[in-house]
Amino acid sequence: MTTLTESPTTTTADPVLSVHDVRIRSQVDDREIVKGVSFELTPGKVVGIVGESGSGKTLTCRAVLGILPPHFEVSAGAIHVAGEDITALTPARLTAMRGSTISAVFQDPASYLNPSIQVGAQIAEVIRVKKGLKRRAARQRAIELLTAVHLRDPELVYGQYTYELSGGMLQRVLIAAAIAADPQVLIADEATTALDVTVQAEILDLLADLRDNAGLALVVVSHDLAVVAQLCDEVLVMREGEVVEQGPTDRVLYQPEHEYTRLLISEHEQYGLEKFLSREGR
Amino acid sequence: MAARPVLVTRARRGLGRVLVTLARSVGIFIPVFFVATFVTFALRAMSGLSPARLQLGEDATPEAIHNIESQWGLDRPFLVQYWHWFTDVLHGQFGVSWVNGADISTLIGLGLGVSLSVAVIALVLGAVLGLGLGTVAALRRGTWVDRAITGFATVISVMPPFVVGIVLVEVFAVGLDLLPSGGYIPPENGIGPWLAHVILPALALSFDVVADVARQLRTGLVSAYRENYVLGALVRGLSPRRIFFRHVLRNGMGPALATIGIKFPSLVGASVVTEWIFGLQGFGRFANDSAQAGDVPAVQGVLVVSVVMVVTFNLLINIVLGRVTPASQRGV
Repeated sequence: MTTLTESPTTTTADPVLSVHDVRIRSQVDDREIVKGVSFELTPGKVVGIVGESGSGKTLTCRAVLGILPPHFEVSAGAIHVAGEDITALTPARLTAMRGSTISAVFQDPASYLNPSIQVGAQIAEVIRVKKGLKRRAARQRAIELLTAVHLRDPELVYGQYTYELSGGMLQRVLIAAAIAADPQVLIADEATTALDVTVQAEILDLLADLRDNAGLALVVVSHDLAVVAQLCDEVLVMREGEVVEQGPTDRVLYQPEHEYTRLLISEHEQYGLEKFLSREGR
Repeated sequence: MAARPVLVTRARRGLGRVLVTLARSVGIFIPVFFVATFVTFALRAMSGLSPARLQLGEDATPEAIHNIESQWGLDRPFLVQYWHWFTDVLHGQFGVSWVNGADISTLIGLGLGVSLSVAVIALVLGAVLGLGLGTVAALRRGTWVDRAITGFATVISVMPPFVVGIVLVEVFAVGLDLLPSGGYIPPENGIGPWLAHVILPALALSFDVVADVARQLRTGLVSAYRENYVLGALVRGLSPRRIFFRHVLRNGMGPALATIGIKFPSLVGASVVTEWIFGLQGFGRFANDSAQAGDVPAVQGVLVVSVVMVVTFNLLINIVLGRVTPASQRGV
């Protein structure tokens, strides 16, 4: 059921995202921050990246989106999105590709939406720019998207501002904006981290929904193994810029090979609610 | 189906915001107006300033003084005087000058005509140049262009307008003989001559506006560019141009707009020296001369006009800001 990275012969469809031995370097102190990340993603599949903060998860995602912060560069390796090498694209081509082929949502959704523009109008803006729809049609489509991400009363939400909505609602809006131009790949970088557990579960369900119904390929970045376990086909465990373990989710979770993965899992067992409940039951 | 009520609600909310801003401005205006005018009135009563002193000089007999004061109604109780003056103001009448008996409304109108001409041109110059320079500095932040503009803004902000005025007169009027060195021609007598007479003082006054607006806008834009929503817009595939105009400019221009709003009343009222240099009989000079002469009705008139001007401009800016950045209205 999963695609092994180094064996493209087993893939049933062409990968929409392929990351091959990507290394990211900081130009300031000439240090390698990400030391060789590889994975492939076909439509409808989900790759998870876990690791502590500072392990290079987010930089990898930003490299894939072509939005590395200043003074960082991809020093080696290749990133192909829908068959195109994004490190070789012009800024204009990159702009055209973002949103309509690859998109992303992040932690703290409120900050990724403009506080001065109604949230619905920001979704409609993407539709008008990327799909060339007229104002009225774009508005209609935006309301459909708000319905699709399971927001109650989408008409009302359309005209609201970020400060009028809760974190869970904003994450739904952000997802609606991200998928407005029908991308093939969606990167969810800690998208559920700041949300409370029930809302987190709802957002994960929504992402699974989009994968199943729209054939969206997902890259799910999280420090939380539970999130990854719930959604991903393949997992990369990162630590200090290196991929210490990579493989199908079941294999990594049940037969971890690297001690860091074992540490992550045992911490989860030690501090997770299951442990607490089983102790109570005894 | 449901679209109509939502649209109506939204329109009502927009209108509601404007009305709240309006009500808040009026709420500020009324107490400020009463306190300011009441204090000047009280100061007159306490300082013993009187038209009799102005007209009769130091060694007038008490009877003559009393005569004149009763002609002006100054022997009546304080509150009665205030009430009379107040009802006149509501009818647009500021009374007559103690110095020359001229109608104060007319004098203020003449002065405002001159000062508003200069101030509007100065504001337009300041806003256009300031917004332009601030934008370029922000888009080229950290480069030599940014540093050059910031340096330029600092230099022109420390040059007092009267020095700039004298230099401009020297260069354009005396040296090049391109423009008149002073005086004023109202726009009714031709836009060309009017502009020729107001452009130099306006330029002299605009330097300060250019510097302040450019610096505020640069700071506002640079900090807006650091916000996550810029990254969000980038990830959604919007072009850099669209991100600048729709997302960055909108959130970053608030302080610059507020600066423009604050500058305008002071351009109209506080440019006495510049008006002197260019031989303009403006509002600032009228205020200054009236205060020095102890012409209380004229000072009162100046005060009322100034308060109205400041409050009106704040109101306008608040409405514009409320439309541009709705979150700012909530104190978020």
